[in-house]
Amino acid sequence: MNFRISIKYIFSILTIVFVIFILAVVSVIDRRVTSKLDGVLWTVPAKIYSRSLEIAEGGKVNINNFLKELEMLSYEESSNPQNPGQFHYKENNIKLFLKGYKKQESGLYEISFEGNKVKSLKRQDGIRIDLISLEPMPIGGMYPSHMEDRLLLDWTQVPDRLVKILLAVEDQGFFDHYGISLKSISRAFFTNIKAANIEQGGSTITQQLAKSFFFSSEQTLKRKAVEAIAALLIEFRYSKQEILLAYINDVHLGQSGKRSIHGFGLGAQHFFGSSLKNLETDQLALLVGMLKGPSFYNPRRNPMNALNRRNIVLGVLRRDGLIKEEVYMDLKIKPVKTIKPSFRSETKYPAFHDLVRFELRNNFEEEELRSEGLSVYTNIDPIFQASLENNIVLTKEKLVKKYGKKLEELEGAAIVVDIQNGEIKAVVGSTNPSQFGFNRSLNAIRPIGSLVKPFVYLSALEKYQDFNLTTTLDDSRLSIPISNNSSWEPNNFDKKYHGNVPLHKALWQSYNIASARLGIGLGFDSVGKTFKSLGIKKKIPQYPSLYIGSFEMSPFEVIQAYQTIASDGFYSPLRSIRDITDIEGKSALSYPYKIEQRFRPEPIYLIKFAMQQTFIRGTARGYKQSTIDKWNVGGKTGTSDDQRDSWFVGYAGDYLVLVWFGFDDNRPTPLTGRTGALELWKNFINDINPNSSTKTILPRINYVWTDIGDGKLSGPKCKNSILTPFIIGTEPKNIPSVRRRCGSMLEDESSSVIKKLKQVFEKKKSETN
Amino acid sequence: MRQINLIFLYLAIILVTSCASTSKQVPTPTNTMELDVFSSSVDQLLKNKDFLKSEILKINASKPSIQRILNESDGFWVKGNLKRANSELERALRISKNESSVFLRLSHIRLEQGLEVESGSFAARGLLISNVSSWERLLLNVYIKD
Repeated sequence: MNFRISIKYIFSILTIVFVIFILAVVSVIDRRVTSKLDGVLWTVPAKIYSRSLEIAEGGKVNINNFLKELEMLSYEESSNPQNPGQFHYKENNIKLFLKGYKKQESGLYEISFEGNKVKSLKRQDGIRIDLISLEPMPIGGMYPSHMEDRLLLDWTQVPDRLVKILLAVEDQGFFDHYGISLKSISRAFFTNIKAANIEQGGSTITQQLAKSFFFSSEQTLKRKAVEAIAALLIEFRYSKQEILLAYINDVHLGQSGKRSIHGFGLGAQHFFGSSLKNLETDQLALLVGMLKGPSFYNPRRNPMNALNRRNIVLGVLRRDGLIKEEVYMDLKIKPVKTIKPSFRSETKYPAFHDLVRFELRNNFEEEELRSEGLSVYTNIDPIFQASLENNIVLTKEKLVKKYGKKLEELEGAAIVVDIQNGEIKAVVGSTNPSQFGFNRSLNAIRPIGSLVKPFVYLSALEKYQDFNLTTTLDDSRLSIPISNNSSWEPNNFDKKYHGNVPLHKALWQSYNIASARLGIGLGFDSVGKTFKSLGIKKKIPQYPSLYIGSFEMSPFEVIQAYQTIASDGFYSPLRSIRDITDIEGKSALSYPYKIEQRFRPEPIYLIKFAMQQTFIRGTARGYKQSTIDKWNVGGKTGTSDDQRDSWFVGYAGDYLVLVWFGFDDNRPTPLTGRTGALELWKNFINDINPNSSTKTILPRINYVWTDIGDGKLSGPKCKNSILTPFIIGTEPKNIPSVRRRCGSMLEDESSSVIKKLKQVFEKKKSETN
Repeated sequence: MRQINLIFLYLAIILVTSCASTSKQVPTPTNTMELDVFSSSVDQLLKNKDFLKSEILKINASKPSIQRILNESDGFWVKGNLKRANSELERALRISKNESSVFLRLSHIRLEQGLEVESGSFAARGLLISNVSSWERLLLNVYIKD
């Protein structure tokens, strides 16, 4: 009796222990399943996008750049565009089948150009419209440590065709089973035997989903049992629709470097550069076919395997009546086409990413960036970025060719900014721009050389009662005692003294001694105030060499200060990000256009005149006058002591571009601002060929003929005379007797008539442009 | 000849002095009052934000594409969604840099957002555009703080 009781007792205990064990196992599996399906699966890294290009009727556009953009967005040339992502260009006319983005509907549009202007925009039905938007280009993301990346889809974004193909190939009885299906296993077995090929898998979609939650790939009985329990739990906890959507978002479709491509949404972007809803049946068949072996059937690496597998899937669709015989025959012979690898949506443009991360970290936690599915819309112009990256490499190659191997380690940085609103359009932080690493555009702190001079001269021109463009500056020997036994003696680049020179000439010739004297005369307080107003936040050192550029700044800080000058005295903080939306597309944070008027427009007008002379007769000369007028260019070269730094900053059209070259270890280079940085500036500007910009006309500015040499009044027929702008009331009054014969003092009536005619002509020209 | 000149000078002096005396004799404060009343009315109107907003909403862009964006922006603005209105205006400026209608709207929206300095800066920027009408110029000047 006792023996019986004890056996029964032990058996009961064992049963309880077993049940507890099973319950514990189920509980662990359940926790894993729910944590994945409710959490990790839906964590989506932040995606970063370029700006969206908008084409407006009557707006300006560079056709070559537009065609390059279409190529980067994976649009394909086709004689008869009928599908999203196709276009045809012929004689100033583009027929473009847009893929669609936000409010911009997908469809066929016709754009006609006249010169660099959009003449007309029409829809397919012939109705004229005034605006179209291209989709922004994905340029990277903020990936978590497991590097899983996906584009999360909801049901409205999943095409019905995909579901049909998926169920036909992977799980025909999906809506009938409870996670495990013996029928599926036996059907797959017989189908595969019949086809002498593996057309179907035995696992249900639920099992496959369960399998993906457990990272081990071992094929043991224990593991199969765990997967089966997980599948049953998934079916118990979630609806069929939820399971299918999770599967569509979770499937692994390949690797891109360290990044893992998950889900059909990202798969469509990664391989075809298009959204899932735009894919053709053969493209969907390929993606579904790839599930069997994402690496083996990768269409880029193994195109033949991919083609065969796609055709097997198409065969299944024909067999199940999902496509007709003739459609099958047409699709079967279509080649497998994917977008070029260089345009894949991977993280590229390292220096720009640095800037974006730098701005994002002020408002978001790292975890939010890696999991909340944010979309970060930036200001980057992919055409400008590509050109800048390409040209920094080419320019360095040319410099190495010219100066020899000593320049092989030459480094560089460049930034392109929209003058008016401070939007950053392109950045490189190295002469090897595709590599992540030290970003010199943000972090290289270097002496700015003569780039400081416009800041000093602007301080003077703000005191317009005392200074104008022809105020003479003393460029003779200067010696300032700095300690008991030594003194500071600045030199000019040409090692010469130039005596009295007009202020504007001292700037465009970049005379050091005249500039130092001017700065010393103005004082640290006055110049420091200008620095601050320009947007320079760091403390200004109080030593006289400051006025000729011993001051150290990063390229980013320098271009911020020049943005204030280029935009007529309006400071706008530079921005790489435009807008951030959450996973549902609602605006999470925007970075609005901010401006603050820091200078009156007239002194800025004068300094910009002198900076334009840099291109006409100064250190950046070489462009035709018509080009100078068209782009309304202006700029300044900069070279630090012993030519350790080569700088150039200049504006053309609507853009301000800064370039720096130098060595990381600060050793001397053979380059000046003109022979180094200016070369890249020119190569880039010539390549993007910006549209013309309108010159600001100020009523308080009057032009007067002056002499380039002495700055005194001159006349239109006198040699070395230049039409110089003055704030009204500050013009020089007397003409030297030697020039009385060759010209009148102020602009005479005839020249003012010519000026007016010129203004009318320019206005008409700008209208036609 | 010299005598003729003296006669002309004499006549001119008489004419000037008579005009001066006439203006002293006829007190005409009516016109001045009307002008003062008119000026102060205009001043009052320009201080009225609702009036300004309604006037700005009537100002159209010079290009149809910009006008289309302005319509969208105005729709958001009227509903009080300043953030969306602002982002549409920025969009317009990217297409056309010199649209006073856009700068006027930005000036007023910044004022509504309590950003007075920025409002004035947008107005000052708008005033640099060459083809601004007198009415737009007057409105832009309202936002400029001394």
